[in-house]
Amino acid sequence: MKRHLLAATAATMVLLAAHSTASAESVLNVGMAAADVGQLDPHRATTTQDKPVVSWIFNGLVRFKPGSASLEELEPDLAEKWEKSADGLTWTFHLRKGVKFHGDWGEMTSDDVVYSLKRAADSKTSSFASDYAPVASIEAIDAHTVKLVLKNPIPALLGIVANYHGGNIVSKKAAEALGADFRIKPVGTGPFALTEYKSNESLTFTAHKGYFRGAPKIDKIVYRFIPADSARDLAFTSGELDVVYGRQDQRWVERFQKENGVVVEVVRPSELSVLHINQTKKPFDDIRVRKAIAMAIDSKQMVAFKGAATAIAPVSVVPVGYLGTHEAKLHPHDVAKAKALLAEAGFPNGLPLKVIQTSLPTMLNSMQIVQAQLKQVGIDMQMEVVDHQSWHAQIRKDLSEANYYSAARFPVADVYLQQFFHSRSTVATPTAVTNFSHCKVADAEIDAAAIETDAAKQKQLWATAQQKIVDDVCAVPMFEQLQVWARHTNVDWGYKFEGAMHLGPVVTEATSKK
Amino acid sequence: MLRFVIKRLLTAIPTLWAVLTTVFILVRVVPGDPTIAILGDQASEAARAELRDKLGLAKPILAQYVDFMSQIVQGDLGRSLSTNRPITDDVLAVLPYTIELTLASLLVGTVIGVPLGVLAAEKRDGFADWFARLFSLAGVSFPAFVSGILLLIAFAVELRWFPVISTSKPGDPWGRFVALVLPSLNLGLLMVAYVTRVTRSGMLKALGEDYVRTARAKGLPHRIVVWRHAFRNVLVPVVTVVGLYLGVLIGNAVLTEIVFNRPGIGKLIVTALNQRDYSLLQGLMVVSAFAIVVANILTDLTYGLVDPRVKTS
Repeated sequence: MKRHLLAATAATMVLLAAHSTASAESVLNVGMAAADVGQLDPHRATTTQDKPVVSWIFNGLVRFKPGSASLEELEPDLAEKWEKSADGLTWTFHLRKGVKFHGDWGEMTSDDVVYSLKRAADSKTSSFASDYAPVASIEAIDAHTVKLVLKNPIPALLGIVANYHGGNIVSKKAAEALGADFRIKPVGTGPFALTEYKSNESLTFTAHKGYFRGAPKIDKIVYRFIPADSARDLAFTSGELDVVYGRQDQRWVERFQKENGVVVEVVRPSELSVLHINQTKKPFDDIRVRKAIAMAIDSKQMVAFKGAATAIAPVSVVPVGYLGTHEAKLHPHDVAKAKALLAEAGFPNGLPLKVIQTSLPTMLNSMQIVQAQLKQVGIDMQMEVVDHQSWHAQIRKDLSEANYYSAARFPVADVYLQQFFHSRSTVATPTAVTNFSHCKVADAEIDAAAIETDAAKQKQLWATAQQKIVDDVCAVPMFEQLQVWARHTNVDWGYKFEGAMHLGPVVTEATSKK
Repeated sequence: MLRFVIKRLLTAIPTLWAVLTTVFILVRVVPGDPTIAILGDQASEAARAELRDKLGLAKPILAQYVDFMSQIVQGDLGRSLSTNRPITDDVLAVLPYTIELTLASLLVGTVIGVPLGVLAAEKRDGFADWFARLFSLAGVSFPAFVSGILLLIAFAVELRWFPVISTSKPGDPWGRFVALVLPSLNLGLLMVAYVTRVTRSGMLKALGEDYVRTARAKGLPHRIVVWRHAFRNVLVPVVTVVGLYLGVLIGNAVLTEIVFNRPGIGKLIVTALNQRDYSLLQGLMVVSAFAIVVANILTDLTYGLVDPRVKTS
């Protein structure tokens, strides 16, 4: 009996060993903290799990330099070169020739570019239509030339034709033929083509051999959805994953930094965490009360709590490093003054603040710190904790007196200001986006900056807008958090990974695995 | 027997109807908006309203209910709100994994639990009894996600015998089997706890009965007394527990599927709930409710097999 058992065990081990060495192709296994894909239509994809993947499938006319999230480092992508008219209104892009779409979808021409940008500008097919509001026309001059005419010059035109959000170029034929299915069967020109989607499990990508920058060194990417943090970390430790989405948590970073053969990469863009105060709810319509809240919140303590490895102090109501971010004069942390302001406003004994809060652990933790800080000045923050989806729905119905929201956006001040602080975006209106505070003090500056042609004047308008929003305490910036990824040292991105607009590593033709 | 099955299936219809109606109402009462999962958080309210209209979510609740029920009656589970794929496809893709996990756990639970319970009763207050009681207590008190992580650390990370990610590998039955071992142990061990307890208490009672004393007095070997005389009488409560536990397994499979990263109905339910994918959630509930009804019928049929006094015809 014992001998049988031994033989069986030995056979098992041999089979296991054979199984693990069976594949010779270069496969990159990536673990993501999500249960499933959201959607891969680049003009709709906004979630953290979808964005990195979109960057492997698609190209823009220009692209963010791999490893960088800076608008200053845009480089040619599908367009080889471009020129603009003297008034800055007409832009002509000359496309690369011989660029192939994935599969049998043919060659990329100006038709695809015109179709894609028009699609991105249409709110029926795109979530980023408002980015293209200043565009008057997009037309094809010939098969490889595209002309774009603007109603007014905009701060970062190249930004909206970059490989991000609406700027991603899709195959016209594929998008038309696949219709609604395009969101899980995307077709682009990028280094990797999606070849398999297993619901709730994984996405498999195969190298696009005809990629215009050359065939990728990686043959296959398996992008696995592993929502349980512990399971994902264990799979990374055991070597089943080469790359893993990290936790924005000091202890996590320190733990993996200590492991042999592991590189932890903390990258931009940062997500700014802001407490939006609803000015239409009494007594928060009183600026003294709002100021007291701002002075009660200690962002230094928040950064210390989150950990210096992943968190940084905010400088404004727009994240650090965006085009137009202004180092605003923020309200200093001052408990005594906050108490005095509350007393002056008629609340010497403090007051309650009712908020709807998501149960998402990282956000709930931060809010508990805010709760403790507010308590010091006598504000009793009462949290109604609901699950994340309920929270998303309820805060958009204008039900909360204050709202903690954390977000990164396209790195131009305009986008953040428009979505969070322009009265047009106020929640519970038809044009609502995410203005939870009902802020309207800086409408004029935001609108003026959007069409200002002089870069210096435009920056000044944005600066004024940010200071006005801070002074009116529409919102209190609390801390900023960077993105965390980890990889085994056998993976080489082919560039220095310091940032990614796509919130994750861009796998390029140069990326390799030893 | 066929008549019995048909009768049971017919009486299950009101149950299924009640479950579906409750689910239909529940998912709509819980606040949430599927358009956030579909369009992301930067889309305008106008775009959301348009999508809600397109998805049929703007219709009156009663109209949605009638649509849903008439679809179900035709055997169509509809399409997922977020992926637009036919729900039947999504369910069929993962159903085999849930079934194999449930059956394997059932096997682990029974094969270990029953002998352990019998042994514990036989050696009452002895070492085996003490061990079985402690083991089952631990099993009952351990949440599936804790035991799952412990199993992973021991056998997948340290010893590397099994993979951490138990995903499907088409055309690789051996890989699929290896990936099934830890999850089914995890679920099965929880079940061992219950089965051991029920078997032990049943056996203790049976071993004290007159017919057992008679059997012993007749000079029958110990093994025959225990297994043929005493144990057969304990089978009905054991089958009941196993049958009931099938429902618990389906529930616990959610956690196990997440910790071991296996595809399955449980994991799909969580995703559907998080994305407020009403139609997918409803479809999954239909399948789960139906599975439990079938499990109950099978349990009832098994009574007839193990106890000739129970008639199913």
